[in-house]
Amino acid sequence: MHHIYCPYCEEMREEEEYSYTGEAHIERPKDPAAISDEAWANYIFFRSNPRGIHHEMWYHAAGCRRYFNATRDTQSYKVHETYKMGEMPSITAQTLAVANLSEKGGAS
Amino acid sequence: MTNFDTSNMESPLHHRVAHTNAANAGVVMKEDKFRGQLNLRGNPQDVAFTSAVESVLGVALPMAPSSSARNGDTVVYWLCPNEWLLIVASGTQGQVEADLRTAMEGQHIAVTDISSGQTLVNLSGTGVAELMQKSTVYDCHESNFPVGKVVQTTFAKTGTTMCKLEDGSFDLVIRRSFSDYFFLWLQDASDEYGLSVS
Ligand SMILES: [Zn+2]
Repeated sequence: MHHIYCPYCEEMREEEEYSYTGEAHIERPKDPAAISDEAWANYIFFRSNPRGIHHEMWYHAAGCRRYFNATRDTQSYKVHETYKMGEMPSITAQTLAVANLSEKGGAS
Repeated sequence: MTNFDTSNMESPLHHRVAHTNAANAGVVMKEDKFRGQLNLRGNPQDVAFTSAVESVLGVALPMAPSSSARNGDTVVYWLCPNEWLLIVASGTQGQVEADLRTAMEGQHIAVTDISSGQTLVNLSGTGVAELMQKSTVYDCHESNFPVGKVVQTTFAKTGTTMCKLEDGSFDLVIRRSFSDYFFLWLQDASDEYGLSVS
């Protein structure tokens, strides 16, 4: 059992209710005709596919049927946070790196 | 040539055979047939919208996640921050829809009659708690699922919207196209408790 918090239903729900729908925070070019084919192809096809922290969209398919964002570690599958559409993540690869550093500093 | 032994065979409609232990049924299924069901969408921050709906239904729209509201035969389920399911008395959905449209004239809203697409089923009995445990991924214990709460989740992998009632039973909204599948699952899962269908 793997539970993920839905920011709209405001509770933990079983993973079975959700589906993953790809990388988050990808902005559609305002004027597609004005950009190069390469820039357009990057927008359409290319994703960051990181090893580690990834900001991605999830869909509460069997629940409220809303899309939301999640910060997930692609290596451990740990979901660090979920947040509503239009919001920005509070946890990023950078904030985690800083937190890890201060943790190590505190321990020595 | 010996006769074909059919004693251990299952006929094509084997699954439709009534239960032998229905007399001591631990699970009672009752379909609340032909209830009117309307899907309503609108802006919960817009007082004109919320007050118009309340004037028609006689009850305020539930705003808290997973909550519900009741006024006689009219039941309102919260589905998401801007979407509700209205369950009304059988046959009245056309009038309720018309009244809503009149009250919300000019507003950015949506009312959709989905009565024929889904049905309301009530599950009760001494075995219903265990039945829910093996049928849904949601924790249906009363500490997690109190009376009046509405949860959209999966039931035997098909989608359902369920509500806990005061008598401890569960109202489940299921899709028409999945109703046969739902019933077959219910029949199988209720076998050990006995199933009564009314
Ligand atoms: Zn949700």
